[in-house]
Amino acid sequence: MQNDNAMTNAGAEQEDKRTTAKVSGEFVTIVAIFGLTIAMILASRAISPSFGSWSQVETILYLSSFLVFCAFGQGLVILVRGLDLSIASVITLGGVLTASLMNGSNEGLIYLVPMILGACVIVGVVSGIGVAYLRVPPFIMTMAVGLIVYSLCLGFTRGTPRGYPAPLLSDFMQGKFLGVPAPVYLLLVFVVFGTVLQSYSAFGRKLNAVGNNPLAAYIAGLPSGLLIVSAYAVSALCAGFTGMMLAGYASGATLRMGDSYLLPSIAAVVVGGSSILGGQGNFVGTVGGALLLTTLATILTALGIEQGWKTIMEGGVILLALIALREQSFAFLRDVFGKRG
Amino acid sequence: MREGVLQTSALSKRYGATVALSDVSLTIAQGEVHAILGENGAGKSTLVKILSGVVRSNSGGMTLAGEAYDPHSISRARERGVATAFQELSLIPNMTVGENLLLPRASRRSFWPDSRSSILHRSADVLREWQVADIAPDAIVEDLSLAERQRVEITRALSHASRLLILDEPTAALPDPEWLFEQIRRLTARGVAVMYISHRLGEVREICERATVLRNGQTIDTVDLSGVDDDGIFAMMVGRSPDSAFSEPVAARPDAEVIVDVRGLSVGKVRSLDLSLKAGEIVGLAALEGQGQQDLFRALGGAARPGDGKITVGGQAATLGSPRRALRAGAGIAFVPEERKTEGIFANLTAASNIALPEISRASHAGIVYAGLEKNVSREVASKVALSPRYLGFNVGSLSGGNQQKVLLARALITGAKCLVLFDPARGVDVGTKQSIYAMMRDFVAGGGTILFYSSELSELVHLSSRCLVMYGGRLVADVAREELTEERLLAAAHGHSHEMKVAV
Repeated sequence: MQNDNAMTNAGAEQEDKRTTAKVSGEFVTIVAIFGLTIAMILASRAISPSFGSWSQVETILYLSSFLVFCAFGQGLVILVRGLDLSIASVITLGGVLTASLMNGSNEGLIYLVPMILGACVIVGVVSGIGVAYLRVPPFIMTMAVGLIVYSLCLGFTRGTPRGYPAPLLSDFMQGKFLGVPAPVYLLLVFVVFGTVLQSYSAFGRKLNAVGNNPLAAYIAGLPSGLLIVSAYAVSALCAGFTGMMLAGYASGATLRMGDSYLLPSIAAVVVGGSSILGGQGNFVGTVGGALLLTTLATILTALGIEQGWKTIMEGGVILLALIALREQSFAFLRDVFGKRG
Repeated sequence: MREGVLQTSALSKRYGATVALSDVSLTIAQGEVHAILGENGAGKSTLVKILSGVVRSNSGGMTLAGEAYDPHSISRARERGVATAFQELSLIPNMTVGENLLLPRASRRSFWPDSRSSILHRSADVLREWQVADIAPDAIVEDLSLAERQRVEITRALSHASRLLILDEPTAALPDPEWLFEQIRRLTARGVAVMYISHRLGEVREICERATVLRNGQTIDTVDLSGVDDDGIFAMMVGRSPDSAFSEPVAARPDAEVIVDVRGLSVGKVRSLDLSLKAGEIVGLAALEGQGQQDLFRALGGAARPGDGKITVGGQAATLGSPRRALRAGAGIAFVPEERKTEGIFANLTAASNIALPEISRASHAGIVYAGLEKNVSREVASKVALSPRYLGFNVGSLSGGNQQKVLLARALITGAKCLVLFDPARGVDVGTKQSIYAMMRDFVAGGGTILFYSSELSELVHLSSRCLVMYGGRLVADVAREELTEERLLAAAHGHSHEMKVAV
């Protein structure tokens, strides 16, 4: 009886019999990358009993939060077919301003925080205008802006950043809530916020469109230039915020504090399944990428491997991940499992 | 029955989530010209790609001249004697015609390139063999017109095809198919088979003997073309009988509101052009290639800055500096450009997102976009272009060209603009999609809107336009009223032979 019904329906509607797969490549990438991270943490138990514990997970979450903050901005810029090489300098700018302006007191924080972040946003707006309206290639524009910002920091501090972040900030960065480091909560809130902004907001949808096909976005009547500028502005905002958090974490700023975040910020985005060519990507994947890279760095450091070898191994893993996490590899896996199921 | 050169059985191909071919079985005989017919999205392009080695099938088998055939590259297919003239031309723009013709073997030696004169000499032979007299072997491809490039593309395929020649929409840019038909006859006389893909049934009937009809990625039937009429073929392609092809368009009422008024517009090739579009009329534009129609359409759509002139939209003076401004100018002008892939679609976004993008605020609450809301918002305009709601959740990149075009038209409709500026809206789409597009255009003007459209097919202009303008050398040279519209009249005017140089109102 049921069969009969199904057949008459199919006949009446003349439906296209071609079907679609249910699982998207994006979803598989995210599962794979989080799975890989968890597997690495568990496997690291074999190296030392102190590994693989909850406290190590906390440490990784804590340390990765800095990378997650700045990789979010990087992700938006990459989404609109750009690249932000000024991230390291803007982190430094955020950190240096935090230490020198707050100068170890809680006074006037309500003005200082927006001021510091505002200064960083201005840097991003300059980069964005260069890219969107003056048509300077993104990597040249952001590299030049980064150099200028770094030189300003150098001049401003005369080579040695002084001062301390506000005690409130340091306390937050070093404090615990219900036994878990306070910044981990901030990280969780940020991940939800970032995911919504990038994948579910009207703003994020427009950025997706601009990155996907800039010409079509223009013809469809989107303010492409403004959207591109805003992506760079958000990236600088995130980098400045990262610098502020780092200053709170280390109770001070250095001129090189941002350097170790530039390449990982790009790697986290790309390892997380976003296309380096723009127009495709989601923040959850980037978070997975950041966790993976941080876990790797933690393990390599704990093993006492020299810095040079450590960098080489990190580079190797990033390369492997990029090759392995391509859409084709998952299409293949999906085919294999699809046939069995 | 002649011997079968190519045989496919149960070919299937998936692209990520989308199944493009599910079961294609056909046989092409030696020396035969075999047509592949089907709507856009039926799987024709995918079949071409599999046969020519661009992509590989997921399952099913092919034999070529009795041996298994499964090419994994274009050059491997060519080694087996299968050559393809692609719809999206595959020539290298900054190289000469000669070098392109001889690629990938521009040189007979493995390292040092052949001398320039040798390349010219050998390619001149190829051009002569295939009766191409007017294209010089040392011309740079990007300097050629689209029609000339298409002939180079076809000539290259002709010269490589020793068993099977695949022609994918070969006449899309060719003004006159006679040259092509003659070459096809010469090739088949040598026993080479030809697979001919075209939307133009008239041509297909002229050159092909048999046709295989595809629908939804499956072979429906292979028929002798002499034994079936156009309606029969159409029914096989879409799975239903054809609607009456065209209904009579109406002219605008004399007192109808003028929605767009253009005075003295100069932009690109366009020279001081006057034009007015009234509510309720579909204004066609006929022109040969490159008479300034692109410039006019882009300027009206805001995609090119007008050099000079005054444009009034809905009674207000408007500066159309960008498509965004054009949409917001008075009653609004929505522009659908010629290049679907590069200027139209967002391949990674769903059809619903593509449609709803200009009105994204309607699909969101507090800045958050809801997929369900987005589908609801786009469903209404999707139905106006007869886009099946089940495609709304698909990524546009995985849809067929015809459905992509429907998505673009739906996006223009959702903006609420009163004036649509459509550049060849039905080019390269199948009969069923064409009907949907025509119906949408008529409904739109019946609802008080106005449409300016360009078409490369004269019959479309004749049947659809309330009046038809003709452009020549950047100027409007004729404004032909509905009652006087014939293809001959338009053609004469488009060649500049218009006896009355009446300028459009």
